[in-house]
Amino acid sequence: MSAMNCPMSSSIGGVRSWPSTTSGSAWGKRIQKEIAEFNIDPPHDCSAGPKGDNLYHWVSTIIGPPGSPYQGGIFFLDITFPPDYPFKPPKVLFKTRIYHCNVDSNGNVSLDILKDGWSPALTVSTVLLAIRSLFTNPDPYNPRVPSIAHLYLSDRVKHDEVATEWTMRFAR
Amino acid sequence: MARVEFQSPENTRHADKQSSRISNVETMESLLSPRFRSAAEMAGWDEETLFLASMIIEDTPERECKHKRRASQQFKTPPASSRRKRRVQQQNPSPIPVGAICLDEEENEDANGKKKKNIEAAVTEDKKKEGGEGSLHVESGVSSSAPVLPCMDRLREELSCAICLEICFEPSTTTCGHSFCKKCLKSAADKCGKRCPKCRQLISNGRSCTVNTVLWNTIQLLFPDEVEARKIAVKHMREAKQKSPKECGYSTRNVAFDSAITGGNISRRARWESSQEEDAAMGRRRNSSWRRTRGGPSQEEDAALALRLQREEFMDAFGRVHDDEPVISLYSARSNLRAMASRARDLRLRGR
Repeated sequence: MSAMNCPMSSSIGGVRSWPSTTSGSAWGKRIQKEIAEFNIDPPHDCSAGPKGDNLYHWVSTIIGPPGSPYQGGIFFLDITFPPDYPFKPPKVLFKTRIYHCNVDSNGNVSLDILKDGWSPALTVSTVLLAIRSLFTNPDPYNPRVPSIAHLYLSDRVKHDEVATEWTMRFAR
Repeated sequence: MARVEFQSPENTRHADKQSSRISNVETMESLLSPRFRSAAEMAGWDEETLFLASMIIEDTPERECKHKRRASQQFKTPPASSRRKRRVQQQNPSPIPVGAICLDEEENEDANGKKKKNIEAAVTEDKKKEGGEGSLHVESGVSSSAPVLPCMDRLREELSCAICLEICFEPSTTTCGHSFCKKCLKSAADKCGKRCPKCRQLISNGRSCTVNTVLWNTIQLLFPDEVEARKIAVKHMREAKQKSPKECGYSTRNVAFDSAITGGNISRRARWESSQEEDAAMGRRRNSSWRRTRGGPSQEEDAALALRLQREEFMDAFGRVHDDEPVISLYSARSNLRAMASRARDLRLRGR
């Protein structure tokens, strides 16, 4: 992991450092590339970056989109990359509690592209965009928490009230 | 009386020419060792092709001017008399005017210096005025390694592989029209199922990953540096991963041969100390091993071998004669050879 210590220097002299990274995968450089690309053109209301020295462990924030009950909230996420990334999806975990039918109390997200729908052509930024779109358009038909999905379908106003309350309480 | 005197050196020179021609033919015999001759024979070369080949090898254009400069000093037929010497010097008045021209130029340079600078400044200003387009033309003209186009960033984006996010290396195009690195696409098909990573359409067959030649060539033209870096990285990976005996078959033989040649050149001095017989024996062994390893050596390969051996031979021969000044001796060798070749041609023409 010595080559991953400083993303800045590795992006400068990256050609030499990356083949020495562990597991001998030719895609070890991909995460470095993603960091660079993310910094150049970050998705709207999103931020992400490695937690510390470990490039395979990121922290991300998404700001609750206006017009949704999550408006004004800042939601922290943990992103963990598997060793065979990008051929396996990253694991995304909500660190901030959220009242959402697709996110359970442990922060697990039910999102198609993070499971079977994953494609190696997807990136962190597309994943974050997909999660952000979940804020405005929850998917009650593939729920993580069925009770919230039920409320969302039966009483949308009540659902939004609770969601706003949770956002005020946990995401500020 | 003066006329006779004038004539006689001409005659002697003519005689000299003929004698030197003969002697040169003899030296040619000694120049080319039996080792080289055998190789040349294998290639089915006659004398003239040998000479022509030698001229082709040694006539590198960048050295030509140096050779010409030295030719007048190095390549002279032995002088017949002191008078003739003087005449040659008189006949060759070029050094004096050249010097005069040089002096003139030096004198003028100071005067012209400011003008030139002014012109240069004007040119650069013009270039600046022309703006982006003009400078682009200049840059593309100057730097051959990396062409600079206004849409380079977009091209880079377009020609990047969505899987590794780098410039596509040996791009392979799916039936749905999306291109990825061949290696990336194969890995994706293996690990994520046989669907296009971009549009999720079924990829017909993972095995039939072929490189999109046009795209690959375009990428190599547009991003030579990246491609080169990637090639080196791939090479390192392969070297680290495997040293399979299968791969060694053809390449190592060539490598061994090359190293034998280059090693021969480097350790020239050491080899001189060993006896000539040993050297010849080694050559014979090498030739025979070459024969053995290659079932039926083609004409081209033999010709290449002959060329290599010849080059080595020259290095040896002239390095040995003029040990302290090998560079000059090489030039003299070259000029000698050229003279020999031209004379051989003359003789042949006359023979017809």
